[in-house]
Amino acid sequence: MYEEPYKWVEAVGNRRHYLDEQFKEGSPVVALAYDAGILLLTVSKGTPKLYEIYDRLALGGMGHPADLEKLRFSLLEMAHVEGFNRSPSDVTGSRMVKYGIAPILKQAFEEVFKAPFIVKLLMAELGAKAGKNSLLTINYDGTFEETSHCAVLAATQSVQETMLQFLRGQVPEGSSLDRTVAGALLAWAVGDRAQRRRETGQQDKHEKETTGSEDPAELAGYLRERVSDKTIECALLDRHERGSSKYRMLTVDELGRMLPPDLKAALS
Amino acid sequence: MHSDFYQLLKEQGYQLGVPATAGSGVDIPTATTILAFKYRDGVLIAGDRRATAGNMVMYDRTDKVLEVDRHSVMAIAGVPATAYEMVRVLEHSFKYYRRTQLQELSFEGKLRALSKLLKENVPAALSGTGAVVPIFAGYDAEQETAKIYFYDILGAEFEGVEYAVSGSGSPTIRGIMHYVNTWGDQPLQAMSEEQAAVQALRLLTSAAEFDSATGGVNREANLYPIIKLITAAGVDTMPDVRLKSLFETKVARHV
Repeated sequence: MYEEPYKWVEAVGNRRHYLDEQFKEGSPVVALAYDAGILLLTVSKGTPKLYEIYDRLALGGMGHPADLEKLRFSLLEMAHVEGFNRSPSDVTGSRMVKYGIAPILKQAFEEVFKAPFIVKLLMAELGAKAGKNSLLTINYDGTFEETSHCAVLAATQSVQETMLQFLRGQVPEGSSLDRTVAGALLAWAVGDRAQRRRETGQQDKHEKETTGSEDPAELAGYLRERVSDKTIECALLDRHERGSSKYRMLTVDELGRMLPPDLKAALS
Repeated sequence: MHSDFYQLLKEQGYQLGVPATAGSGVDIPTATTILAFKYRDGVLIAGDRRATAGNMVMYDRTDKVLEVDRHSVMAIAGVPATAYEMVRVLEHSFKYYRRTQLQELSFEGKLRALSKLLKENVPAALSGTGAVVPIFAGYDAEQETAKIYFYDILGAEFEGVEYAVSGSGSPTIRGIMHYVNTWGDQPLQAMSEEQAAVQALRLLTSAAEFDSATGGVNREANLYPIIKLITAAGVDTMPDVRLKSLFETKVARHV
């Protein structure tokens, strides 16, 4: 039935529609450069969504946990074999995405007789020097974009734009880690709330709030409601970390010390 | 659930060591001196810097005390090419395990990984092209203590309850360590970080005095042994500037 080109295009379109539906209730992921590295943040329930891939590479994901695991293992194998056979400095986020994971996602997406990967990925690479960071977002169809200051994953392109606009307005490049953590957490709240509003058909009413002029108190209240039974995951690629591996998770205590009083009160 | 990096490498055609016929009876050279002992805060592990080929000094700045990860160190005696390769395999194996399984490999698991590499390297070791006799030391998070293990070339592992030595200079200092530990002012395990470092410098200087394959301190070239400290906080390398100061005040006047 897919021999005719237009049938195939229709099938791919249906698949896109199906996949978009799968992310509606996913938890957004935020990646943001700070003065000494890159912060990744999300809010999860049970399964972690932030991972160490290689010495300077971290991964965040949205979607089906089994698909995320499969692609994570592919990335880990690629990165470690390449790092062993050549050198750790040859394992770059750009190579892992462009020649590793993106073709796999594209092929799975277009093979309409097989199940696609229900995932969106964010690969963060810590540059050797400040300002040389790379943030790559990869969509379920294998398309990817590269930036250096901030990147996000969310249910739709429009929600992602809302979050990015908020981040650009709230967290200037080269900010401290404390300010970056607070900004990333609020950006998560902006994204999660926008997703929920879209779900309930309230997006038009609140469209004005997508310009970066969010009320912090309101966002703190929203966080209190949404994060109470979940875990705030915070991972760092920290240039000052000793040894070759630059990845580490922020502990609950560290996170508590970094958040401003209003957010800390909202989450305690 | 794939967590074994070495297996992954082998599936891709990798082979550790040079294929060789076993049992040709060639002497096994281990021209070096490495040592480890427990002190008050953890384990000190140290090694000289000389690399030799027969009676030739090949290099005087070799690093034979290598950090495998944040909590473990392998000091190498034997054929450098194979030893460095083993450290590279272990380094990637431990990282790969941590990143795939989202938890650290246990200390026991790390010991087994090295033992496995040594066993697979036996043919090369016996043919005289790849013998490695390492010391492995690290912090065991489960037992909350730093530990020392030493190996033979066949991969058998032995715990150095108080200390371990390896390499051509080891017979010289093994007796000294026994003497100091048994009849000295205090046992090695009671020594402070500074006392332990002074002891290590004296031991390696003694080894260099009697073993031409062990490099001593060269103050003109600012060349000191490598000394690493393993504690609950991780692995720390003692900086040359501190070694220089300790050597000049506590070691040099005695030689």
